[in-house]
Amino acid sequence: MSRMLKKYTVIYKSVLIENLQYMFNIAMGFISYFIMCFVFIKLWNYIYADPGDLIAGYTKEQMIWYVMITEMVWFGARSSTITRQVSSDIRGGNIAYLMNKPYHYTLYILAKYTGEWSIQLPMYALLATVMGVTMIGSLPGFRPVTLLASVPCVILGVTVNAVFKLCISLLSFWIEDSAPFQWIYDKLILVMGTLFPIEIFPGALQFLFKLTPIYTVCYGPAKLIVDFSAEKCAEILLTQLLYLCAGLLLMFFIYGKGVRKLYVNGG
Amino acid sequence: MVYTQKCVYGIAVLFYISIQLKEEGGITLKVIEADNLSKTFRIKQKEKGMAGSIKSVFRPQTKEIHAVDQVSFSVEEGEMLAFIGPNGAGKSTTIKMLTGILYPDGGRAQILGIDPVKKRKQLCYQIGTVFGQKEQLWAHLTPYDNFRFFGAIYDIPDSETERRIQEFSDIFELGAFINTPVRSLSLGQRIRCEIVASLLHKPRVLFLDEPTIGLDPVVKDHIRSLIKQMNRELHTTIFLTSHDVGDIEKLCKRIMIVNAGQIVLDESMEHLKYHYLNKKIIEMKLSNHTPLPDLPGLTVLKEKNGQVRLEVDTAVMKINDALRFIDAEQAEDITISNVPLENIIMEIYRSENRVQVP
Repeated sequence: MSRMLKKYTVIYKSVLIENLQYMFNIAMGFISYFIMCFVFIKLWNYIYADPGDLIAGYTKEQMIWYVMITEMVWFGARSSTITRQVSSDIRGGNIAYLMNKPYHYTLYILAKYTGEWSIQLPMYALLATVMGVTMIGSLPGFRPVTLLASVPCVILGVTVNAVFKLCISLLSFWIEDSAPFQWIYDKLILVMGTLFPIEIFPGALQFLFKLTPIYTVCYGPAKLIVDFSAEKCAEILLTQLLYLCAGLLLMFFIYGKGVRKLYVNGG
Repeated sequence: MVYTQKCVYGIAVLFYISIQLKEEGGITLKVIEADNLSKTFRIKQKEKGMAGSIKSVFRPQTKEIHAVDQVSFSVEEGEMLAFIGPNGAGKSTTIKMLTGILYPDGGRAQILGIDPVKKRKQLCYQIGTVFGQKEQLWAHLTPYDNFRFFGAIYDIPDSETERRIQEFSDIFELGAFINTPVRSLSLGQRIRCEIVASLLHKPRVLFLDEPTIGLDPVVKDHIRSLIKQMNRELHTTIFLTSHDVGDIEKLCKRIMIVNAGQIVLDESMEHLKYHYLNKKIIEMKLSNHTPLPDLPGLTVLKEKNGQVRLEVDTAVMKINDALRFIDAEQAEDITISNVPLENIIMEIYRSENRVQVP
């Protein structure tokens, strides 16, 4: 077990070393993040006519901080490693050269991906904090100690998201292009909990959204940061762990089935 | 008690006999065994034009291609085998089945007694692969960091990885660029590093798929010497795929030619040289029109406007004699080359006297 862990830690560290050279490139993505947050700050400022208003149980500051945090996770965790790279590995046959090493291909990809967001996400977190504090002010009722519980939720949320996106990419064993499915999944995440908190939707939809893994990706961690409660934290952590287990099982199942159908031409 | 003593004595005797036989060359361990290995691919077909595209949506058509068709062979420990054939012959598919990447549709393979389909991960520790056209090294890391990475991947203790990096660095002369990012290395330097990365876990079988592709002759020769040295010192079995006759001639003692998914020749290199590589092509540009002699072992392939192309059968006539007979002093330009490998393969494939694979 420890040998296996060491193996994937080495993959993670290698990506980390590699990506440290691209911090400037990552910082270029800040422009899109800034524009997105700026638009939402203006939008919510307009919607909240009176600063004391509550919409779906959120104050104006909480709502803007919520969007900034979910966008931070969205931007900080985006990568083509678990989407385009996996699809092109499978369709182009490059997977053949990665499979004959003593590691599991899917865990190798997850370790690589973790190495990528480990640099990106903290950079975006720093930007979000600076932007939030300067443009909206501090988050009311926020206690830094709650980060000890919220940060693991962010990490788990990003990992759950990665596992499900990887499952979609692995469909490339059967279909020509998994990008349309990725697009649908991304848009669902964006609507269900990234741009707007789940509480904004009607009760029946809220119940439906809570049954999807998407609920645990952006909404859960952001909700904990803006409005922490121990019960909510336990609920989200438990849901994340359940979805992580289910997602991993699904991922290994799809990979196991798909790899038997692998078609690698020439070489 | 007596029974136990007899058993121990019996095992000891058997062990002694096996060692003696091995020392005398009586026992040869088969490291690769393929038995009726087959792989069929289904390729999508589409009729031409827009109508064909629409039709393929509603009625998709596929065509079956027997990439590997009941191939059987075995390779002994320490052998250097050339596994060659034209493009699309089934070489890479066979290698991919032997290394557990592709699942065979029929037959079975065993590498060092391990079934690649069932125990691919276990097999990974025993084999190494170098694909000349694919990079396995991380481009942004230095060769040293890459080797440390591969050491960890193959569960080699750090101190042992360091020792092996030093050892291979000396053999493959990597000292000058071991700390330069791989993306900045020349092709020759990169291939040397690729081979070292594949050898770090000391595999017993090394699959080399066109390891010298794109390299200049000096680097090619260097790489070949290193492969030879590795085979000699580490007793690594080499399974080589290449289109380069030089690789095959200089490295391998046995050659296997595959075409259309079947083995069409499995021979010793000496036998192949005697039968097929004994032909040389002479291309010349003559200053004056000189009549070409009609001699046994000399065939005129082409003659036009002073450009002459001849085939010399060196089993019948030495190349020096051929040059003397055709008055090479009249030549403005002259090139001597081997018969292209593709021609040899085609010749063998067309031959009715196919060698039966044991």
